[in-house]
Amino acid sequence: MISLAYDPIFTDAIIYSSLLVLLSMGLTLTYLTTKVPNFAHASFATIGVYLALIASRIWESSPYVAIPIAFVISGAVALALYTFILKPLIRKGASKAIQMIATLAFDLILIALLNITADYITKNYQIISREFTLRSYDSLFMDMPMILFVAPILIIIIASTLLIILKKTKFGIAMRATIENPDLSGVVGINVRLVYGVSWFLGGGLAGIAGALMSMWFQGDPNLGALMIPSIFAASIVGGFTSIYGAIVGGILIGMSEILGTRFLAGEFGSWLIAYRPLIPLLFIVVTLLVAPRGLTGINWYRVRRLFGTRN
Amino acid sequence: MALGTEIIFIVDLLAIYAIYLIINSSLNLEFGYTGIPNFGKVLAVGVGAFVAASIPGRILANMAGIEGDYIGDNISIITQVNVWLVDNTGIGFAVFFLTLGIAAGVGAGLGLLTAYPAIRLRGDYLAITLLALGEGVRIVGNNFTPLAGGTLGVQVPDPLSWLPGELRFPVATIGLIIIAAIVLLYTERTVRSPLGRTLRAIRDNEVAAESIGKDVTRIRIKTIMIAAAIAAIGGALYAFYVGGTIAIAYDRTSWTFWPFMMILIGGLANNKGVLVGTLLFVTLRKFIIFFKDSLQPYVPFDVVWLDFLLLGVILIAVLLYRPQGIFTEKPTKTISKEGFTDKQKS
Repeated sequence: MISLAYDPIFTDAIIYSSLLVLLSMGLTLTYLTTKVPNFAHASFATIGVYLALIASRIWESSPYVAIPIAFVISGAVALALYTFILKPLIRKGASKAIQMIATLAFDLILIALLNITADYITKNYQIISREFTLRSYDSLFMDMPMILFVAPILIIIIASTLLIILKKTKFGIAMRATIENPDLSGVVGINVRLVYGVSWFLGGGLAGIAGALMSMWFQGDPNLGALMIPSIFAASIVGGFTSIYGAIVGGILIGMSEILGTRFLAGEFGSWLIAYRPLIPLLFIVVTLLVAPRGLTGINWYRVRRLFGTRN
Repeated sequence: MALGTEIIFIVDLLAIYAIYLIINSSLNLEFGYTGIPNFGKVLAVGVGAFVAASIPGRILANMAGIEGDYIGDNISIITQVNVWLVDNTGIGFAVFFLTLGIAAGVGAGLGLLTAYPAIRLRGDYLAITLLALGEGVRIVGNNFTPLAGGTLGVQVPDPLSWLPGELRFPVATIGLIIIAAIVLLYTERTVRSPLGRTLRAIRDNEVAAESIGKDVTRIRIKTIMIAAAIAAIGGALYAFYVGGTIAIAYDRTSWTFWPFMMILIGGLANNKGVLVGTLLFVTLRKFIIFFKDSLQPYVPFDVVWLDFLLLGVILIAVLLYRPQGIFTEKPTKTISKEGFTDKQKS
């Protein structure tokens, strides 16, 4: 672990991958239930970024205080999107495309509100609220920024809790049943709407946590969400968009390739390549859809092994 | 002759109206008639603008024998080109139409490339792919300087430079309106043709369309290519109208989200909806921008965000309470039975 300190790029890669895992887990969770790709998902994270700014600069406490608050507020915002916009649209039989446009419109509203918040903070508290970083508010652990440990550990805790909830608890089983067949689970007495609401709350909440963590290492800005959307969707699509495991693998893969891959390519071909880093997730989307449209979890690994003659 | 503020306001409004009409009718062809959720409309528009930024200036500078680094000395080169164009109006127009043609070709090609990976997949995958790839256009434009000067932008030669200053924008606007009318006529004729009925059949029931022998994937790809070509022409025209291109201006909100909003307000799958929805939106937007400064002292933030907030809320309200928009889709007008028999007799 100590050797990591020599090259900050590994810190970047670890933190960024952890955040992408968290974001694409949340996105997958909402997609599993309502089957609508939520384009406002990244802005839920930006809410977390601003809560961390408020916690550390206005309340003058640790940015870590913002984590539970971000979970609740981003979760509530996601729940509002589902309850007041998507649920009525689904009830009226609106098409997928219309629902997606509704999430885009909601994203626009969130971006506007975040920008208003940023302007308000700057005006009233004389605090920089655009392109800011809270790195200096993070504490040190073993001479390294705390976030480097907190982010991956928190992700492991959250992912395993989520998996235990889904596999072992009664509610989780009801949730999986609803994902599998909403009509039938309604018949056996599962409250489908409650299940959907909870998964939207959880999905948004996870994005909020990711945002609160993000502010401690990366630059915060109201338009952060718009910049991260392709990476989050790439992670989810690579993971297959249907399983939490897939989202974890996809997040790590995209996060690592975006940061380490850019560094490697820049070393090979020159530093002008660094600016094209945002194209990497696009490349992943295209390749995944062409080669294995159902993502990593949809690949029949047995057949792949047979294809290359390494059956064992 | 100096133009009054009101005239400039109306001229600019009509020009933006015409450009959005071109882009919206292409989106309506894709989304309204065929049901392709193209959330990457900005890609085709941006490509058109980049073509206008990189090609005509170079061609004309070459023909006029102007030396220099096209991107580095852009302002001086384009100024010289515009002076040269005063005496070579014909060449200016030829290059202008050539640029529109190249923009359409490149737009169609890129439309094919970006839609290809997901065209066979479910609609939401296609939407995600197109949206993500649409973001790519700005990234490339921002960093690859030979294209459009990167973050500084470039100027675009003005084929109307021979006109006296105050007439340039009104004449350009008339030209834009004519091109928009041609595009609308073209889409109207397309959707009333047998192809138009096929497009609606694919939108309403893909399986049924396939079962009667329609090659759904091919028709979809064709539609995307045609729509991308039209949108690229719109992007190139915008670049010519404002006289410059800067990559940062080609964002998702302006060139994907607003077009969707306009056609949804007007009503999907009819060109009357496109005409009215676009007019409503462009006028509203223009007035918001016009009155922005007078509102600014009363709020503790930039008024532009109030604009976004308002438009987002309007769109969600439309989706929830008037999903069919102002004009609902009507069955295509067909020839009456008498007309049909008359035609057969003659």
